[in-house]
Amino acid sequence: MAQWQEVQNLANTHLEQVHQLYAAAALPMAVRQCLAAWIEDQDWLQATEPLSSHARMLFHSLLALLDERLGSLGLGDEDFMLKHNLRKARRDLQAAFEEYPESFANLVANLLQEERRILRLGQAGGQGEAAPAPSTPPKSDREQEIQRRLAEFHTALQEAERAFRHLEDLQDAFDFCYKVHYLPGQDQTKDPEYTRQVQSLQAKLQNLDRQRREVVAQMQQLLGRSETLRDFLQQELKAWQERQQRSCLGAPVDTRLHQLEAWFTALGEGLFQLLQLLRALGELQQKVTYERDPLQAETPLLETRLREQLTCLLQSAFVVEQQPSMPNTPKRPLVLRTASKFCTRARLLVRLHDRNHRMEAAIHIDRDPPKTRGFRKFNILTSSSKTLLAGDSPREGLICDFQYLTLKEQKISGSGKGSKGPNEGPLAVTEELHLITFTLAYAYCGLEMQLETSTLPFVIISNSNHQLSSAWASILWFNMLSPNPKDQQFFATPPPAPWPRLAEVLSWQFESVAERGLSREHLHMLAEKLLGSKPSPESVLSWSKFSKDGAAGFSFWAWLDGILGLLQEHLKKLWKDGLILGFVSRKQEKKLLKGKRTGTFLIRFSESVLGGVTFTWVEHPESGRPAFRAVVPYTTVELASLALPDIIRDYQLLAEENIPENPLLFLYPDTPRDEAFSPYYSQRQEGSLTEKKEYLNQRLIRVSSRQANESWQTEEELVVATENLETLQLQPSGLGSLQPTSPGTGTVVAGSPGTLQPVSPGTLQVVARSPGTQHPRGPGTLQPVSPGVLQVVAGSPGAQHQRPGMLQPGSRGPETPPLVQVSPGGLEMLQAGTGAREPQLVLQLIPEGQGTLQVGPGSLGTLQVLPGGTGMLQQGGAGDRGTQQVAAGALEPQMLLQLIPEGQGMLQVGAGDLGMLQVLPGAVGTLQSAPRTAGMLQQVGAGDQGLLQPGPGAAEPLPVADDQGLLPAGLGDLGPMLQGQDMQELLQFLEQDLEPGTGTLETLEAAELMPNMDSGLGQMDARLGGSAALLDPRDPFLPQPEDTALPATSSLFTVDADFPPLHIDASDFQ
Amino acid sequence: MGQRSGRQERSKKPEMSLSENMKAEEEDDREENKELKTKDQRLPLVFGVADLKNGAVGLYNIGQTCCLNSLLQVFLMNIHFTRILRRITVPPYASLKRNNVPYQMLLLLEKMQSGKQKAVSPIDLAMCLSTHRVNMFIQHDAAQLFLTLWNLVKRQMKDQDLVTKLSDLYTICVQEHLACQICSSEMKRNSNMLTLPLPVLDSNSHMLKTLEDCLQCFFHPEELTGHNMCFCEYCDKKTPFLQSMKLVHLPQTLTIHLKRFCFERSTNVYKLSHCLPFPQELDFNAVLTEQQSQAHGSEKAAWRYEIFAVVAHSGSTNSGHYCAYIRSLTECKWYCFNDSTVCQVSWDDVKCTYGHSDLNWGQTAYLLIYMKKHPQ
Repeated sequence: MAQWQEVQNLANTHLEQVHQLYAAAALPMAVRQCLAAWIEDQDWLQATEPLSSHARMLFHSLLALLDERLGSLGLGDEDFMLKHNLRKARRDLQAAFEEYPESFANLVANLLQEERRILRLGQAGGQGEAAPAPSTPPKSDREQEIQRRLAEFHTALQEAERAFRHLEDLQDAFDFCYKVHYLPGQDQTKDPEYTRQVQSLQAKLQNLDRQRREVVAQMQQLLGRSETLRDFLQQELKAWQERQQRSCLGAPVDTRLHQLEAWFTALGEGLFQLLQLLRALGELQQKVTYERDPLQAETPLLETRLREQLTCLLQSAFVVEQQPSMPNTPKRPLVLRTASKFCTRARLLVRLHDRNHRMEAAIHIDRDPPKTRGFRKFNILTSSSKTLLAGDSPREGLICDFQYLTLKEQKISGSGKGSKGPNEGPLAVTEELHLITFTLAYAYCGLEMQLETSTLPFVIISNSNHQLSSAWASILWFNMLSPNPKDQQFFATPPPAPWPRLAEVLSWQFESVAERGLSREHLHMLAEKLLGSKPSPESVLSWSKFSKDGAAGFSFWAWLDGILGLLQEHLKKLWKDGLILGFVSRKQEKKLLKGKRTGTFLIRFSESVLGGVTFTWVEHPESGRPAFRAVVPYTTVELASLALPDIIRDYQLLAEENIPENPLLFLYPDTPRDEAFSPYYSQRQEGSLTEKKEYLNQRLIRVSSRQANESWQTEEELVVATENLETLQLQPSGLGSLQPTSPGTGTVVAGSPGTLQPVSPGTLQVVARSPGTQHPRGPGTLQPVSPGVLQVVAGSPGAQHQRPGMLQPGSRGPETPPLVQVSPGGLEMLQAGTGAREPQLVLQLIPEGQGTLQVGPGSLGTLQVLPGGTGMLQQGGAGDRGTQQVAAGALEPQMLLQLIPEGQGMLQVGAGDLGMLQVLPGAVGTLQSAPRTAGMLQQVGAGDQGLLQPGPGAAEPLPVADDQGLLPAGLGDLGPMLQGQDMQELLQFLEQDLEPGTGTLETLEAAELMPNMDSGLGQMDARLGGSAALLDPRDPFLPQPEDTALPATSSLFTVDADFPPLHIDASDFQ
Repeated sequence: MGQRSGRQERSKKPEMSLSENMKAEEEDDREENKELKTKDQRLPLVFGVADLKNGAVGLYNIGQTCCLNSLLQVFLMNIHFTRILRRITVPPYASLKRNNVPYQMLLLLEKMQSGKQKAVSPIDLAMCLSTHRVNMFIQHDAAQLFLTLWNLVKRQMKDQDLVTKLSDLYTICVQEHLACQICSSEMKRNSNMLTLPLPVLDSNSHMLKTLEDCLQCFFHPEELTGHNMCFCEYCDKKTPFLQSMKLVHLPQTLTIHLKRFCFERSTNVYKLSHCLPFPQELDFNAVLTEQQSQAHGSEKAAWRYEIFAVVAHSGSTNSGHYCAYIRSLTECKWYCFNDSTVCQVSWDDVKCTYGHSDLNWGQTAYLLIYMKKHPQ
């Protein structure tokens, strides 16, 4: 029936073939339809055999069935037609095949065969069409092959069953005739009728014998095929076992079993069915047997073979699904603690069981212990056996789940507790391997056997963390290398590990702990550390070198595991996101950092401290070789109180004679610190401006101090700094006091009176002075130390020298614009970090591309200056790409100072929201102020033509143009010079030029920058800037917002006596 | 392989001269190839099911004939063999016909290929064989039965040319060397073999891992010392000898006999069913060393084989079952012949006859039949 139904469901093109098939056939389709199920159930092929009475029988059965059907049909219209057709068909068939039933059988057999062919074609075509949209993930070839073979096996089994039923019929027929007609006692040889009967009986017996042999041959065939199938499943299972082993080691692999379970069950079912069939054959043989009965000879052989196959299948189908593990260390299975709970689970993949039979599963530990002296013996506490109940978990399959097991050591008299005493074995506790064996009394369909499976070897430790670590090392080593998964004596002579294999396993450890494996560079470093040379595929590492020896007092594994522990507890996210470079040797570290800007740092694991992480940064002193500094490694103890990102954010370096500062500016290679780490900073409590707080908030920061002449390693102490929220956030007080002064036009003096110091010719100096400085001379300075190079020296309050700002040119290698040839070292990224206590001010000068100058306070009061173009602001926008920007990091509501020249010569200084100071130079030569939200200060823009215009829409150009005499070197002059001229010349030129105007604030005023500035923030040195612009925070033309964010301390910028003199001292220069 | 029933007629004409016959045969071969293609397409429409098998037709087990059946299939599926078989001279009398093995084989072949049945009964051939003391109701050893059958066929072929062809098709030539270790005198002897009887255990009774290992082991020189010392004519006493075997010639159809049945202390026979993989393609030049062969370049160049058939045994020494895996030379598809049941299989199924260490009753390859690759 199934086949005919499938045929009817075929697509039209294939259905057409079926119609053609039946159009030419002597069997009308009506008959096929009407008796579909019966027709398909008969063995027509068998009936085609000559000498077979089967064909005749089938033919007459068919006619009888047709009669029956005709009788059952009603009188309806449709039935009427059908009735007519069937009746006609019956007549035709009888006429045509009455004498030749074999040819009728042949006809039907061929028709069925042809139908199957069309079906195959149709289904193959159908699959082809359905292929583009597969709902399930595409299966591997092997999986498809197994599915196909399972289906084939199933079909062949059905065929064998059909053949068997036919055999039964034949035997019954023979049996009957034999009993009726065969009368050996009487001599009836003369009776021709009797002779005929005996002959017919003889023929029947022949036929029976043939059918028996046929069935036996089919069974042989089936067994052969199932062997292949079992082979396939075995291979898949082996692959799964390997996957499981790898997964135990932390590899990300799929260890699900349901597919295998389905396959094993299907094959098991088939084989059990075959077993039933064989038994039924045996019964047939019991009833009728004869000389050389094939059943007699072959059935026992077949059954032995089949039982062997079934046994093998079942044995391998019993697997440990979950290796023993403690629930609290799921990532490190196979390490068990005495007296701690653990669980383990076995599964029988052949999901067949007899509900009336109790299946007992039991577990044993070390059933066959190695004969090693001192090998500890354990008992499993709580019940070690379990009954697998029928219906226990029908969907779950047949599992023996042992949970809440514990182990207890057997006390051997004479040995004290804990000590191994006289039984001290040659192996350490963590190298002693134990096994748990599952046994299952299986019974199904008369097949009884004891199934058995073992866990992977595990290590039993007592209650110590150190043991856990080295036990895990043993587990790694074993599963990585042992050829025999049950070898308890593995550590008697542990083989060395090939490096590539070990590398992979180590990487899994990191992957399982923090979702990121080891990179090639990491592994390279580890290999060099371990093997002392570049790894080759042949390099091997011995067990003792891995887990025992170690120059630093701890083994390689202990070191690595310390790092794993640290990652697990504190650095998961950072590691996962790749912020931790991690495994970098000192040499490599220097190589990496050497070419980077001052303040570039990387995070690596300490090689000398167990579970330590540290950061190393580079400093480029004005002269000499770059210095690399690293802090004493943080371990889990330190990180427990303060997370690493927070440490990095607030890290302070207390230099002897200086105020603290954070030397960590850029995460290697060049990500600004806060950009890299801000997602990981712990949330800072926001205080409200209005609300009065009884207590000041508390915050931990880490500070290192170093002596002036100290070497690179710095000492560190933990400082608890009290953070005054009001101070932090109340702009009026904070802003006013914290602003660095930035001279415009290359010199932006922000905040308190900054000093603009052209120290030497060709030197641009930006003096950023933090408020709160008691020193009269505490300005940050922006100094181009060499021609074309801008240097910003940000002085911080109390800072006397230039160091604290740590402004150093950092190379921007590939992006160095061609225009910069003049400047040695190309146009460099300049950074200044001021070490103001809170908030920190970082003054940054970053020339980007051509003609970009950015001055901006980053978050936390960082002021950045990014000069573009050939790095000279004086060019005033020689590069139109030259946007001068001060990017404000918006995180902290600190004041921002921005200098943005847009288009040609535009210089913008703008305050963004929340107290931003912005200077926005307009179009060419226009000085504009772009007021933003609250806290808008003032802006000064310098045009390249030296026009300084206060405020947007300012009608009058400021008289700062280079032509105006006050500026010795106009932009136009300077630009070309920078490009074309020798450095020295340039320096001299600048020196000469600058000389007259050095030193005094009057100079600035002479530049007529901000004559009316009374509470100005910035000052502009027109001369210095070439196309100088100076900032007037209080330009009268500017719309002045409510000065909520502005300090009312206008006195800050009043040009008074406090204002430090602006001087240029040639000796300062280089 | 696509023989038509008409073929029989031709081979029944003994008066046809040899050369004519050959010529006709050659033409026929070409014709046959041509026809094969068209036939394949035509067949499903015209004929019944059996023809679709295109040669892979089962043989009923009549008594314990699984061994015979498997070997017959190996012979009859080998087109190089059937080409010879079809040219035999038909015996003149009925009684001679009955007892002529090659003729009965030919009849059987035609019956298989012309009938519509999925299997035919080899009863006539079996009867014929039983007159030559090959009883059909006892369990045979396939290797022995192969030799017996082959010799019967050869002996009963009247045409010397065909005998030569048959010998050429199956005969392996080796040169045995015996060198006295004392006086260095050497004895050589050429001998012919029908099968290479390969040990599956090495001299220390360790299981050999692959077929190649077995071959190397077979051709490995052996020192005859102690009890095994031979008498040296020159030394005039028993001296230690070095016995070695050199390969001289390999035939088109190479039969390898894996000695899986092991005689232990003469009485106990047991079967070694451990895993022994054999390759699909076998190049003797890659397996044997220079010293192990005694052939010129063109001969050695032809020593490249691919597997054609495997006669596998399942069960124990006392009771067991044979089946044959044969790769049809025309279709290039694998079939498994279990007496009357034939089904198409794949190389994976054939690989299953490598053997298993955990299955004692499973199928294990016993005879391997390799076919020389056509020179490219």
